[in-house]
Amino acid sequence: MSLQLSVRDVTKRFKTGEGVTGISLDVTKGELVTLLGPSGCGKTTVLRSIGGFLKPDSGDILIEGRSVVALPPEKRPTSMVFQSYNLWPHMTVYENLAFGLKIRKLPKAQIREAVADALRLVQLPNSEKKLPGQLSGGQQQRVALARSLLLKPAVLLLDEPFSALDAKLRQEMREELREIQTQTGLTMVFVTHDQEEALALSDRIVVMNHGHIEQAAAPRHIYDRPSTLFVARFIGKMNFLEGVVEGSGIRVGPFVLPNEDRIEGETLVGVRPEDVILKAAEAGEGMKGLIKQIMVLGHYAEISVELEGGGTVRSFQPKDAVRELTAGQQVAVAFTKSIAYPKIGDN
Amino acid sequence: MSKGQGRKQAILGLIMVSPSFLLLLIVVVLPIAQSFVVSLREESGGIGLGRYAYLFEDKGMRDNLIFTLRITLVSCALVLAVSYAMALYMRFSDGRLVDWIRRTYMIPLFIPGVIATYGLMNLLGNHGWLSRFLLVFGIELPRIIFDQKGIIIANLWFNIPFATMLLSSAMAGIPASVIESARDVGAGKLAIFFRVIFPLSFKTFLVALTFVFMGVIGSFTAPFLLGPNAPQMLGVSMEQIFGVFREREQAAALAFFTFLLCSALGYFYIRSMAQEEASRS
Repeated sequence: MSLQLSVRDVTKRFKTGEGVTGISLDVTKGELVTLLGPSGCGKTTVLRSIGGFLKPDSGDILIEGRSVVALPPEKRPTSMVFQSYNLWPHMTVYENLAFGLKIRKLPKAQIREAVADALRLVQLPNSEKKLPGQLSGGQQQRVALARSLLLKPAVLLLDEPFSALDAKLRQEMREELREIQTQTGLTMVFVTHDQEEALALSDRIVVMNHGHIEQAAAPRHIYDRPSTLFVARFIGKMNFLEGVVEGSGIRVGPFVLPNEDRIEGETLVGVRPEDVILKAAEAGEGMKGLIKQIMVLGHYAEISVELEGGGTVRSFQPKDAVRELTAGQQVAVAFTKSIAYPKIGDN
Repeated sequence: MSKGQGRKQAILGLIMVSPSFLLLLIVVVLPIAQSFVVSLREESGGIGLGRYAYLFEDKGMRDNLIFTLRITLVSCALVLAVSYAMALYMRFSDGRLVDWIRRTYMIPLFIPGVIATYGLMNLLGNHGWLSRFLLVFGIELPRIIFDQKGIIIANLWFNIPFATMLLSSAMAGIPASVIESARDVGAGKLAIFFRVIFPLSFKTFLVALTFVFMGVIGSFTAPFLLGPNAPQMLGVSMEQIFGVFREREQAAALAFFTFLLCSALGYFYIRSMAQEEASRS
């Protein structure tokens, strides 16, 4: 796979002190990479630097092996889908889509055909004559997406494109985007603060925090083996228990859990709720606790257990498995999988 | 909503618009109607359009008309060009100069017209400051005061601040994001201006044009004090016909004709607004 986009040691600091430092990122052709992080982590700064709307203080950005860092947005082979759609309100859908092609001086018949194709791709056929104001938010974002797709950009940039839509529509758009990506083979960089969206969409997730990259890996890997405590907290749900290093393992209550990273001193052990097993208290093994709450969340239930030694553990169980459980019942908790992190003062 | 409530609201609405409607009726509609009736009285005593025919048949009057239209069009073009450029500059640049322009451009609005006109006479007159200053370098200033140039310069002074204010607010209403998306699809500065910024501020442009046009075509102070003796602008001519020649009917005809000129522009303005409304619903 050839390298389509390469961000090399990019630093951009704003007067407010926010910004990004030393960001390096390679994206291969046809890959969908998500920049994920809390607001203010610098993900949009990276995206806008790639699009040319921000000039980095230092570092280089290469697209198809060519440095674009000195080029203005209009000269870059990128196209951006904005959070607020940014359609031109005085132009019809057709004019919105044709604008970029007209600038590229394509013949009229070709533009007409390309626009119709793009509208079919985003499932809005025959809406050429409408004005953006006559469309719903989801439809407007589809038009904005079509506008970018038409230009066949070397890299498509998406800046939280679905965050203004309601949950159901967001999910639909996600699936559609994924489909469009397989159809067109476009390279995409997608910014979001929604970890679920990132997990669903991406070939690779880049988790950012405080202007630097915490971890960049495939969604599965990020979920199973978050490399830092921040990533472990940010992606999915995670229980944290205090542990003490003991021999080659880490002792948490009655268990000695593996210490793969050879951590020393105080540790925090993370366990995903789906890796928490509940057993009858009489079984004897495990950490004793009382069931505090049972919440059925569709096909699964979330059970919180207050441990005898203090602290709460959440467990996901299939909805049928919780029929016999009631709040206040005593249970024993065990773990099938865990991951350990050194305990840092401010965490 | 029940029927009774609907009627109550309709009555309340009527009561609320009635003061402004009455004012419009007394101050605008009735005088216009009256002027029209007066203007129909012929010199010979009968009723007809002779007074209007005179406006086009008399060479002096014809010259006045052409002179007025020429000054109005030139003033409108210059005012809007300058105001639009200033509004654009203030919207898309920043720095100390822009801050200064932003703070000071409205000052002319706060200076009474007669005083400003007097100042222009002192500055640009035959023996004014400018001509004395230029004389040092051996340059002779062409005649500005008591000439159409003087009227046009005064119109710029009176109209640029307000037009700029209107256009600035229109510019502020164009979000940076739509310009960003235009750059993103590859539009250069010119394309952005003609395809995005101008269309999005066109409505306000039309409002500004209407205001400047009406203001200039009906102006009196500046043309009276700064203009030539002949030809005259319609306002000055009207005053002369009314006050010096004492021809009330002829003055009324000229007034009504000026009103028609303004309504022509008003018609275009309202039509474009109506089109906008229609395309929106």
